[in-house]
Amino acid sequence: MTPPRRGTAAGGLSRRHFALTLPSALLASGCAAPHQGTGRPGDPVVLTLLSHYASGELKEALQGPVDEWNATHDRVKVRTKAVEFTDLLTTFMVRQAAGQGADIIHPYCLWNGQLVRAGVLRPAPAEHAEEIRRGYGKAAVGAASVGGNVYGYPTEVQTYALYYNRRLLRGAGIGSPPRTWRELEEAAHRTTRRDRYGNTLVQGFGLSTYDDSTTVGQTLALLNAAGGTFVSADGRSTAIDSPAGRAVFDLEHRLVTRGASAPGVNVYKAFPSGQVAMVISAGWWTGSLQPLMGKDYGDVGVAPVPVPEAGDRHATLSTGFMLGVNTASEHPREAWEFLHWLNTEKVSAKKGTTATRMSALQVSVGSLTGRADDMRTLLGKGGDPNLHPFLDALAYAVPEPNVPGAQRAKSLLRKNIEALWTGQQSVDEALRTTRRQVDQEVSRSW
Amino acid sequence: MVNVLTPEATERAHGARSAAPALDSGGRARRRQAVVAYLFLAPTLLFFAVFLILPLGFALLLSMSRWAGFGLGDIEPVGLDNFTGLFADGSTFLTPILTNTLLFALGTVTLALAGSVLVATCIDKLRFQGLWRTLYFLPIVTTVVAVGNVWKYMYEPGGLVNGVLNALGLDSVAFLQDPDTALPSVVVVQAWASVGSAILILTAGLKSVPGSYYEAAALDGAGPVTVFWKITLPLLRPSLLFVCVTQFLAGLQSFALITVMTGGGPGDATDVAALEMYRQAFSYGEWGTASAAAFVLFVVVLVVTLAQLWIFRRKGEDA
Repeated sequence: MTPPRRGTAAGGLSRRHFALTLPSALLASGCAAPHQGTGRPGDPVVLTLLSHYASGELKEALQGPVDEWNATHDRVKVRTKAVEFTDLLTTFMVRQAAGQGADIIHPYCLWNGQLVRAGVLRPAPAEHAEEIRRGYGKAAVGAASVGGNVYGYPTEVQTYALYYNRRLLRGAGIGSPPRTWRELEEAAHRTTRRDRYGNTLVQGFGLSTYDDSTTVGQTLALLNAAGGTFVSADGRSTAIDSPAGRAVFDLEHRLVTRGASAPGVNVYKAFPSGQVAMVISAGWWTGSLQPLMGKDYGDVGVAPVPVPEAGDRHATLSTGFMLGVNTASEHPREAWEFLHWLNTEKVSAKKGTTATRMSALQVSVGSLTGRADDMRTLLGKGGDPNLHPFLDALAYAVPEPNVPGAQRAKSLLRKNIEALWTGQQSVDEALRTTRRQVDQEVSRSW
Repeated sequence: MVNVLTPEATERAHGARSAAPALDSGGRARRRQAVVAYLFLAPTLLFFAVFLILPLGFALLLSMSRWAGFGLGDIEPVGLDNFTGLFADGSTFLTPILTNTLLFALGTVTLALAGSVLVATCIDKLRFQGLWRTLYFLPIVTTVVAVGNVWKYMYEPGGLVNGVLNALGLDSVAFLQDPDTALPSVVVVQAWASVGSAILILTAGLKSVPGSYYEAAALDGAGPVTVFWKITLPLLRPSLLFVCVTQFLAGLQSFALITVMTGGGPGDATDVAALEMYRQAFSYGEWGTASAAAFVLFVVVLVVTLAQLWIFRRKGEDA
């Protein structure tokens, strides 16, 4: 018998080897294959679905169809996991790196380029891609696609429109919401009120630095309305430094410098309190405004985003989420099967009409899907009339760019918009800096 | 010639024969002790290996790689590209992010140090010193999110601070919305929030100053200002050094307060290194850039700390 060599440990492993192996083993242990049910023959496949429908009515709304699937399907079961939206991307990353990525993920479409570049999203099989292209609006399909390939079923789709306070407009002698930018500026100036210390009492047009949705969302909605786009068609450069981009930056700059907008005011608080006459925001807000404003919600109206000149074609921004399948999933066929069932099979809705489960789910929480036919069926004539401009916008909305690096590009745009609003940059500087920074980012990300 | 062993020689030979086994057993005992010591240390060493050395090594690897944060197999080496990218033309890391970080830390330390020296000196002359120290320490035990939100409301156009300004006949100031006032406004909050711990340390430092020095100064007719500059401050140097170094470290790594109060805005007026690292990693999936920024920040922290140690030591020698 050969005696063990000096310095060996753990059955012949040298100290050096042990030192090298330990970190590798610890790293590798995080890369183990995800748990997929018990693995025993005959047991059902368990698919995990990770979304941000973590609480309240959103969680219940998703759980309903999932329970229905589980009750009617023996071979494949679905288990939902949810985190808050703010933790969603981080959770995708951490779980994926640890080999615990969910089979089905529900990303914000802005991240799609990043997820595709990282090899997380699996392209939709041809039959599903064809069905998605056929069944959804152009904006929804665009948001769920990267480089021309469709990666999932669009779920929640948000379009942007102009919210206005009828009472404030009437008080300023304005009978109808503005349709052009000239009317918008005039209405904004006429409705603005400040006290003698300069504190804003009523903001004519709500420009807010509160979050991406109010800062970037409304700017991109105005940019789209002016016929412009944020990112070029090939996704490798920005198109913000254009006549349309300049017109939007000029408009916002004028509104701020002439006092009709106060970017320091949080419009999400000020508008329900009757301190903002007009603001551009997404459709989901209607659902929050109703309980918040009570009977004052009757003062709220919604109109399409004003266009630069009368007669210009309407356009606005759309954002959204989609359900896609993880490349790490061991059961992609079953995952697509479930998504097809959830998103395309029509079931009976109200008054003898039919709609997909996802459309019914979204409408039940005050949201929309990219299926215009379902939306018209479900919203009908008795629903909140303020939702109809958002529904109409599905036909002409432009999807939010989702190229690799889109999140970074959006943040850079936001910083430069805020620098413009706060007087740190002129319109020329803001356009030039945005172009330089975003071009560098989106070109690097491919 | 006859070889005869003398008694001394015999003793030496016996001694040598008996010392060899004693040395062997002593060496074995020491080795056993070393093994036992390592066994006792093993949990701590393992803890450090897993939670310090391994992440540090991983961060170093990432700083020279491109990684989106999703799969460990996708780590792509890029050499020093991440570091050069941080300082490339058009990058915002050096200006304004690193500049903001240093200004934030410097402003916080200056305000907190001046305030805490003043308050600690006053407290030292008051009754109920424990009560005063507790009152000033309260912000430390309050969550940063609460502190940030309360101050945010106070700074708002219709908030308390502007209310006071308006009552004095002055116009409102958009403290957090104006890029010129946003960073100083957050610095004030950070200094306010951290002054409690500094006061605690400085009051302890003041207690250790021998009373005989003050008695001698009084006999010499020294006034309170002279006593403060010539006796109190020099003898507080070790406490001041500790406060200075820890406050600088906290300021350079500040993240939560800025996230709550401004999110780095308006524009990038209050963007700091820790916030940018978080965004690069968790929002943009640029873990390589985030790790490189972390190492740059580490170097900055190290240089600033060494500079403080050197300055205080030199002052000590001069004195």
